[in-house]
Amino acid sequence: MSAVSLIARDELRLMRRNRVAVIAFALLVLLTLAAALISWSHQRSIAETRARFQAQASEAFEAQPDRHPHRMVHYGNFIFRPLGPLAAFDPGVDAFTGNSMFLEGHRQNSANFGDVRQSSLLVRFGQLTPAFVLQVIAPLLLIFLGYGAVARERERGTLRQMLAQGVSARALILGKLLALALVAALVGQPAMIAFLLIAGQPGALAGPMLVIALGYAAYLALWAIITILVSALVRRGRDALLALLALWAVLVILVPRVAPDVASQAHALPTRLETDIAIAHDLHKLGDSHNPNDPFFTAFKERTLRQYGVTRIEDLPVNYKGLLAVEGEKLTSRLFDDYANRSFAVQRAQSGLNDGFGVVSPAIALRRLSMAAAGTDLEGHRRFLTQAEAYRYDMVQRLNRLQADAVSYANDTASDAGADQRKRISAGHWHEIPPFRFKSADAADLVKASVPGLGLLLGWLILAGLALLPVARHLQKARS
Amino acid sequence: MTLIAHELRLLLRSRMAALALLLVALLSCAAVVAGMAEIDRQRDVIARIQPKQAQDIASIAQWVDKEKDAGSAAYYSFHATWDTPAPLAFAALGLRDVAPYILRVRALGLEAQLYDGEAFNPELALPGRFDFAFVLVYLTPLFVIALFHDLVSGEREAARLRMLDALAGSGRHLWARRVGLRGGLLFLALALPLSIGAILSHVPVGQLLAVLGLVALYLAFWIGVTLLIGRMRWSSVANAATLAGLWLVLTLVLPTIAHVAINRVIPVGQGVEISLAQREAVNRAWDIPREDTMRAFYANHPEWKDSPPLTAAFHYKWYLAFHQVGDESVAKKVADYRNAIESRDAAAHAIGWLLPSVGVQSLLTRLADTDMQAQLAYQDRIRAFHKRLRNFYYGYLFTDKPFGKADFDKAPKFEG
Repeated sequence: MSAVSLIARDELRLMRRNRVAVIAFALLVLLTLAAALISWSHQRSIAETRARFQAQASEAFEAQPDRHPHRMVHYGNFIFRPLGPLAAFDPGVDAFTGNSMFLEGHRQNSANFGDVRQSSLLVRFGQLTPAFVLQVIAPLLLIFLGYGAVARERERGTLRQMLAQGVSARALILGKLLALALVAALVGQPAMIAFLLIAGQPGALAGPMLVIALGYAAYLALWAIITILVSALVRRGRDALLALLALWAVLVILVPRVAPDVASQAHALPTRLETDIAIAHDLHKLGDSHNPNDPFFTAFKERTLRQYGVTRIEDLPVNYKGLLAVEGEKLTSRLFDDYANRSFAVQRAQSGLNDGFGVVSPAIALRRLSMAAAGTDLEGHRRFLTQAEAYRYDMVQRLNRLQADAVSYANDTASDAGADQRKRISAGHWHEIPPFRFKSADAADLVKASVPGLGLLLGWLILAGLALLPVARHLQKARS
Repeated sequence: MTLIAHELRLLLRSRMAALALLLVALLSCAAVVAGMAEIDRQRDVIARIQPKQAQDIASIAQWVDKEKDAGSAAYYSFHATWDTPAPLAFAALGLRDVAPYILRVRALGLEAQLYDGEAFNPELALPGRFDFAFVLVYLTPLFVIALFHDLVSGEREAARLRMLDALAGSGRHLWARRVGLRGGLLFLALALPLSIGAILSHVPVGQLLAVLGLVALYLAFWIGVTLLIGRMRWSSVANAATLAGLWLVLTLVLPTIAHVAINRVIPVGQGVEISLAQREAVNRAWDIPREDTMRAFYANHPEWKDSPPLTAAFHYKWYLAFHQVGDESVAKKVADYRNAIESRDAAAHAIGWLLPSVGVQSLLTRLADTDMQAQLAYQDRIRAFHKRLRNFYYGYLFTDKPFGKADFDKAPKFEG
């Protein structure tokens, strides 16, 4: 075993003497720290802005004067997606999705004002976050530091000497790997400092953080192994470097770009326009509220009258228009849910296909794990959209019920000069509607969501580790 | 000529060089095909929505025709707008995957409609699309490095350098021939698929030439950098490592740092402020005397001021008027928001002069009409169309003209 540690120590000493290697390493550490600081302050300022807007919107809602409840249905409410603490490490899709949403009756609006539509084209070059540095740049450093680890010995003829002296090829490879793995661990350190910053914030969850740390450790270890593997297989140091660079370009840069194209061509997503038209069409089929003889609404009227034991709408103890509004919202919301589920099923299929490329590219597997554990993936966005819709429905129905109970049918249908005042109800009612509170995912859900990515990564790691055995055997033969 | 042919044979005998050239050609082909498929899909979607849209309007026309109320027609009719992709869009998809290229609007407040997004999977948009711009900006430099890093050092390491230098009359010509040959082949591998795609997509010749010029310039930049590094007389390995590091800094690290810097230096007053303010202005109309709203409306739209005064009954002209007044009340915020986005965009273009990767990307998306400017231009077209729409409905509402089935066909049509 001492041979392994001796070789590792020797390799590390060589790296320390290599001025370029030391500078590159220092630069990467600085870059990670800068990314962590920038990303952390960015996340804080976003979280603050959104919280401020949310408070402003809630205040504005409660400050509305006496009104007809249906006016409040259209006044609606604005809600903002809060940004969890782990978004400082990996903001995921946050910049690509809208983060504010206008909630009103009869309509389901899109989440708007994502960063991507109000930034310059530079946003498409990637974002400087600790996750980006570790996913994309750290493997390159490992390649630079490790491509020559074995190839160099072979080129200089020292490999044959060492083997002749009785050092086994396995010990040699393990020693080189140990040295590179130590460097990898050091490379990951600054990101862990970022983690400490995040851990200080309320709402940071230990489970997902552990998974993220584990995932990135596995990813860097994997690149250390790949680097040593190629270095041991290829005859010349230069070829090892070129091969590793090509491998990196394909796995980290190319495949993650190609996969989404394949996914989006395989599963087409309907446009909003088509969805809106389809919903309007379905609604029209269910019942036409503009048609006084429509069977659905006639049946609803009869059912309501029977329920209250009266024969005329005017005799109902509640406002029929309010009941109609409740029923109408129920119908539209069901359709909204239905179409949203369909759209998400397509998106989930797209993401699934995209994630499948994780078998080819560990970078995709890591990104999946990282975003899922940070709660900044598509599912995280969906969590917001689902809660937004539930809140919208509850708010609108509360207001519709207020119309049924607190506004009389006679006043509601009147159109004389004073009718407008009589239709209004006290502003105190608006306070009874609870403000929107986003419920973030709990640790167990996040961890569960990140398991597939972690599984793929560990699979890669095991496979690469096993590949070391035949390569060591092959290297041993170099003696003869 | 025979010398060139000879060099070509030499070059292609190197397995790595031949493989690299073949890969560039393949990637370029794949990117052109993928880009064209995506743009075809977008064209199909734009074509597909037209009959659906017509059907939707027809079903509204059917019931509106009973009462012939222009207000109901204005309130319930959504009108489609779309942003037809430019011929060159396939080469650089730009923002077309995250910004809507189809948007329905109605004659109500535009500021509450203009910023709506399209349904898209953000996880697919996150890494960016695979298009020609990506192959050119990110991957081509890597191939340049692979092909050129050992141009001289390789000969030195093979101990042929002295001999080559000693050959009478060859000297400089030899290296010029080799650089020209490698560069030329690389250019062909990129340009041929692009040109075929451009011809199939009916790209104007001038534009194609501009893109090809850009490709040549970007290649020249990276070849220049590689040759410069080569002059340091380092080993091939050191050349390759240094160049890869340079590539990393120029295409990945500096652009992301520049992005953070731009967004810091030029804050965009959140767009949501427009929505919040416009909504307050619009909803306030229900709580103030309706005459106040009409006065504010007529001040900017005097052509309708002779319309009969409002009665106690609800009238849609008041409804449309307060929506318009609401839009006008946030005009300053809208202008500020847009100016800030434009300054961010301009800053990114300025950085393009320093960072070739950014410069090429921004010029390509400009030529392809898929950048931020194209998005803003689409918004301007929507604004102009919305104005025509409003004026169309005002013509009925402010003169109390009935709005029948036939009038639906007279509505302004968006011209993509």
